[in-house]
Amino acid sequence: MIEFFINGQPVQAEDNQTVMQAAKANGFFIPYFCWHPQLSVPGNCRICMVEVTNEGQAEGTGWLEIACNMPISKGMRVLTDSDKVKKRRKETLQFITLNHPVDCGICDKAGECTLQDYHYEYNGSPSVSRDVKVHATKHYPLSDRIVLDNERCIMCTRCVRFTREVSKSNSLGVQSRGDHSLIRPVEDGSFETDPYSDNVIDICPVGALLSRPFLHKARVWYLEPTASVCPGCERGCNVKLWHRKTEWKLKALDPQQNARIDRVTPLENDAVNGPWICNKGRDLAQVFERARAEQAMLKGEAVELQAAIVIAREMIKAARRPVALVSNWGSNEELAAFYGALGPRFACHVKRDWQPAPGERLEDDLLIKPDKNPNSAAALALFPALPADPRTAFPPDTDLVLVWGEGFSFAQLPPKARIIYLNSWLQPENGHADVFLPVSVQTERSGHYTNFQGAVSAFEACFAKKAGVADAETLFGAMGAAS
Amino acid sequence: MTGRKLIMNFEVTPTSHLLADYRARGGYATLERVLREMRPEQVTKEVVASGILGHGGAAFPAGRKWGVIKLNDGQPHYLCANADEGEPGTFKDRWILENAPHLLLESMLISAYALQVRNAFVYIRGEFDLPYRRLAAAVEEAYAAGWFGQGILGTDFSCDIVVYRGAGSYVCGEASALITSIEGKKGYPRNRPPRLTVRGLYQRPTVINNVETLANVTTIVAQGGEAFRKVGTAKSPGTQLVSISGHVQRPGVYEVEYGTPLAKFIYEECGGVLGGGKLKCIVPGGISTKVLTAAEIETVTYDHASLTAAGSGVGSGGMVVIAEGTCMVRLLQILLRFYHHESCGQCTPCREGMGWMHRIIDRIVAGDGRPEDIDQLIRISNANDGTTICGMGDAAGYATVGIIAKYRDEFEYFIEHKRSKLDGRLEVAAGVVA
Repeated sequence: MIEFFINGQPVQAEDNQTVMQAAKANGFFIPYFCWHPQLSVPGNCRICMVEVTNEGQAEGTGWLEIACNMPISKGMRVLTDSDKVKKRRKETLQFITLNHPVDCGICDKAGECTLQDYHYEYNGSPSVSRDVKVHATKHYPLSDRIVLDNERCIMCTRCVRFTREVSKSNSLGVQSRGDHSLIRPVEDGSFETDPYSDNVIDICPVGALLSRPFLHKARVWYLEPTASVCPGCERGCNVKLWHRKTEWKLKALDPQQNARIDRVTPLENDAVNGPWICNKGRDLAQVFERARAEQAMLKGEAVELQAAIVIAREMIKAARRPVALVSNWGSNEELAAFYGALGPRFACHVKRDWQPAPGERLEDDLLIKPDKNPNSAAALALFPALPADPRTAFPPDTDLVLVWGEGFSFAQLPPKARIIYLNSWLQPENGHADVFLPVSVQTERSGHYTNFQGAVSAFEACFAKKAGVADAETLFGAMGAAS
Repeated sequence: MTGRKLIMNFEVTPTSHLLADYRARGGYATLERVLREMRPEQVTKEVVASGILGHGGAAFPAGRKWGVIKLNDGQPHYLCANADEGEPGTFKDRWILENAPHLLLESMLISAYALQVRNAFVYIRGEFDLPYRRLAAAVEEAYAAGWFGQGILGTDFSCDIVVYRGAGSYVCGEASALITSIEGKKGYPRNRPPRLTVRGLYQRPTVINNVETLANVTTIVAQGGEAFRKVGTAKSPGTQLVSISGHVQRPGVYEVEYGTPLAKFIYEECGGVLGGGKLKCIVPGGISTKVLTAAEIETVTYDHASLTAAGSGVGSGGMVVIAEGTCMVRLLQILLRFYHHESCGQCTPCREGMGWMHRIIDRIVAGDGRPEDIDQLIRISNANDGTTICGMGDAAGYATVGIIAKYRDEFEYFIEHKRSKLDGRLEVAAGVVA
């Protein structure tokens, strides 16, 4: 450990830390654009200038140095807000905004833009230039998912370093030089196929890299995040689901917008996903906004949910050899409820609700795992997995099968067995079940998933449950009740 | 004559660039002696004792740079000759590469021996054609004669050399951008720390010296560091190759002993201003050094201390003579166009500042200047001072501040009258050039 001083206060830091790292660890804020804790240090934005005076050096003779690349030394005195620093910061911001279009009014990043924040914090005065700005490509489609606005780009190269150091696709680079420098994808199209490409949108400190699905969808200050877990694979990345704030709910226009996932961003969790998620996680809206099953049914005939539960309970009670297929999309709480209420009654097998989609990356060194379901670890801790040939899971005299969750073809069930089916989605199988019970989805309830490493992550409800839909947890209790 | 010659005691003949000629002059004898009689530390000791300062522009003591390299630290070291001579007005290294390539190669071998370098590099400017061909031919000759490769002269010292051609970027003449370029990446300068002598080419300790600095090594080792110190001044030992151009009677490359009075060099040796004109100012060492007016150079001697005291520097030895009648506004426009064009665009102040200054000066020259533009140029220059990754932002700032400080009236006149104060008065070239 080394002791040095930030703004006069003694600070303890690790030997090989930089001023930026030590300041961050000790609660001092130094502004930065290009620096990122997970990426290499390019030192190109020059906004993190601090005044440094070495031990033994006279007061007032300090020099300015970028905090992100400055190794600490014993007794060194760092000033993060001296007059010299403030002046330099202001000048640097003037340089950065010199050719920036300042079109915050139509920029999706407005409201969560680092440049905007720093401008108000450290500069605040109008442009000192009266010369025309350098114009560049305003709308460069980097991929089907991302559009690049080169005028807004401040050349921090975080995106370039991300593809080189994290996603390893090496798919972005800097073209040309000087104030004509442009971020461009490499020509082999590898950025299109980089499954982590959308992270560059998050790490872009300005509105240069924009999500095409989210483009001009909502101002970010109308949105709020709810902590959730991506169910896309057994990694269980922590995510934020962004949706409209209650106070900004729309009364006119399309009310569906009030129950919409506007975008998904990573929720930093070093034990699971760090600050990243893959593109599949960004597209969770496509998973959760499929048509929902909202009506309990008996052989396709609509009934009251309560009536259906009673019938299901009687069927379970009467069954001689019941088999259950447990969903690995169930939360830890739901699995525990099932285990407690119905587990002893059934021969249970864990089925995989989701299989890898054609062309989907199966596994890599960063995040993506082969099992494309969120809670296999917890489910398999309670029950055995469904055999490779599912038919062997059913004894010849099976007379009842409880199927929980989607992704299982009824053709594989013994033909004489009756079926209780719990599903959230509007799917053809629903009508073929003897009893169909619609259940809530992850965005309508809270719970936990356990990932493949045993890390437990929580998700919260962000939307109201649909009428006629029940939580699986309650259903299991009701179906297992004595009478 | 302006004193003793160290490099230019080498007479240029049509065959002086060939190995046979160089051998006949006693070439590679020093290397032979070094390999047979000296230990690496002894060579470094001589270089440290010589006190030679870098000739590329920053004037960093070469011995101190070498001293950082730890011998036997279990990792490869690299040596790189910076032949990316891109500072406008400078063409002295070119003289060495064209006329005495073997002097450079012998010096590099001696340096490589001293620094325990197995692989040495020459990063040569892409625009250099004849220098490249001469150097490449010299390398081939040297390999054929066994001066490079495995077990040189039967000793266990081995060294290979790679000549790497640049692609025309000014910034790649900066040491860290140069090695980034050799590594095959975009020529962006790197942040210090770490210094390149700690982590340079391929993340290994690397010594990068200017061609002229390295070319002096043979002389230093042959004569001994102390003998070398007898030339020049106490603080600036040795000589400097000066490439002089512009409105000067006898342009070319001269070897100037440090301490020579500057006026004497310009007026006597180089024949003064072209066509007998009056001297307005000079750029003493590449356009990144501040200009010195005719009055200022009267008292200056050509060495680091004196030029620094005068507010300028030896720089890269690229001297430009500017005659009375030259419009300094347009001169600055040319300089700023160059800096704008050559800014690599990596860090903010230079990327944005160079273009900004260029647009302002263009506007002034187009007759759309405002009185506050002059201070704006100074402000941008100062905001680039010490804030950039490499020295290019500072250099452009020095040049700008230097010119404006001394010729502010011309800028004010241009802005007020929308034309140059000196229109039509530059008559130096008339009838004299032929």
